[in-house]
Amino acid sequence: MAYPFQLGFQDATSPIMEELLHFHDHTLMIVFLISSLVLYIISSMLTTKLTHTSTMDAQEVQTIWTILPAIILILIALPSLRILYIMDEINNPSLTVKTMGHQWYWSYEYTDYEDLTFDSYMIPTSDLKPGELRLLEVDNRVVLPMEMTIRMLISSEDVLHSWAVPSLGLKTDAIPGRLNQTTLVASRPGLYYGQCSEICGSNHSFMPIVLELVPLKHFEEWSASML
Amino acid sequence: MSKAVGWGAPRDAGWALPRPVEAGRSHEGAALEKAVGRAWRAPALWSLGSSAFSVTGLADPGRAAAAASREMFFRAAWSLVLRRGGLGSRGIHSPGDTAHSKGKMPPYTNYHAQRSYPMPDEPFCTELNAEQRALKEKEKGSWTELSHAEKVALYRLQFHETFAEMNRRSNEWKTVMGCVFFFCGFTALLIWWQRVYVFPKKPITLTAEWKAQQLQRILDMKGNPVQGLASQWDYEKKQWKK
Repeated sequence: MAYPFQLGFQDATSPIMEELLHFHDHTLMIVFLISSLVLYIISSMLTTKLTHTSTMDAQEVQTIWTILPAIILILIALPSLRILYIMDEINNPSLTVKTMGHQWYWSYEYTDYEDLTFDSYMIPTSDLKPGELRLLEVDNRVVLPMEMTIRMLISSEDVLHSWAVPSLGLKTDAIPGRLNQTTLVASRPGLYYGQCSEICGSNHSFMPIVLELVPLKHFEEWSASML
Repeated sequence: MSKAVGWGAPRDAGWALPRPVEAGRSHEGAALEKAVGRAWRAPALWSLGSSAFSVTGLADPGRAAAAASREMFFRAAWSLVLRRGGLGSRGIHSPGDTAHSKGKMPPYTNYHAQRSYPMPDEPFCTELNAEQRALKEKEKGSWTELSHAEKVALYRLQFHETFAEMNRRSNEWKTVMGCVFFFCGFTALLIWWQRVYVFPKKPITLTAEWKAQQLQRILDMKGNPVQGLASQWDYEKKQWKK
């Protein structure tokens, strides 16, 4: 989850998120370089003692500032497309979980073997146990086995929602009448929090997602206990 | 018109300039001449109304008058366009024209000195008295014969301000900063009032006790252990890493 005075992203829990962190570092570095160049140019233009500041002829610099941004954009696009294609690789998931967005809770269905379905409502602030996170805890967490590829099928029963877990690099819209798929792989066990990411009414801020990644044994015990 | 810079009589506000062409005229007039074309010399142009009968040679005075007034209208509109600098011979690349066009300035003041365009083509003073005209004549000779005072006088004729005068600092920044600080202070007062009278009670999770329990829980579940929060905690020594 996010922590106070956090500056960057949450730590990556999946390999895709690690790739995204590196890509973000790369792109942010380019952005910082361009911004500092522009700031330098602005400051030198404001403090110059030269008087004739209306440029008449600038062929060479115009060529440079057309070609160079094109090169920079290519340098950004290539890693971006690489990650995009990695996300869409065939990966043979071991488990399929369906999640339906409602106003204003998520429901989860584990129907590969048995019929396990439950709703996941936010715990109101007044019902929180000491030390729990406000607006983030839910009554029934999504328990999943760690280090296994899981297919998430996401849709909605009423309006648009979006199922997002930042530390796994996941955000997929829940669209009524449409089935969206995303792949989930977690490298570490633990609790991973997310929030609904598409405006869906008055309690849009109050329908969080909590993933509980556990070893396979624990997952099997849990799913047996939930039936 | 070979004279690019006019040292003649001052321009009038209107476009009727009933004086002969060959005397020195203002820059505007010269531009008008060039743009309209050599055929439309000023005497014929401005006396169009009176000479309509002879020029057009129409037998019917009424039609001639109507034709003349139409001509006058178009000439007037044309010269108005030229005066704005849109289609004049100076074209659109003389910055002295756009913001500080001569049409907007009163006589004797052609422009304000600008750092971005320090040496306009047209001189600052267009109306010269006899003494100044004599000085301009002397300027055509060798400059070593000019005294210092004469050089200064010539400079003042040509330019509005010296570089030192043009680049002088002002106290405007004090006013600006004062207003900025004033409004910052006023905003601070508004925010303070808001905190006291508008904002609701803070939730229980923002008390120090709850925040400590929250932190302990996050450290127990090793949240963000790679570079984030839990990575800064030393689990052996049970304290923050130095």
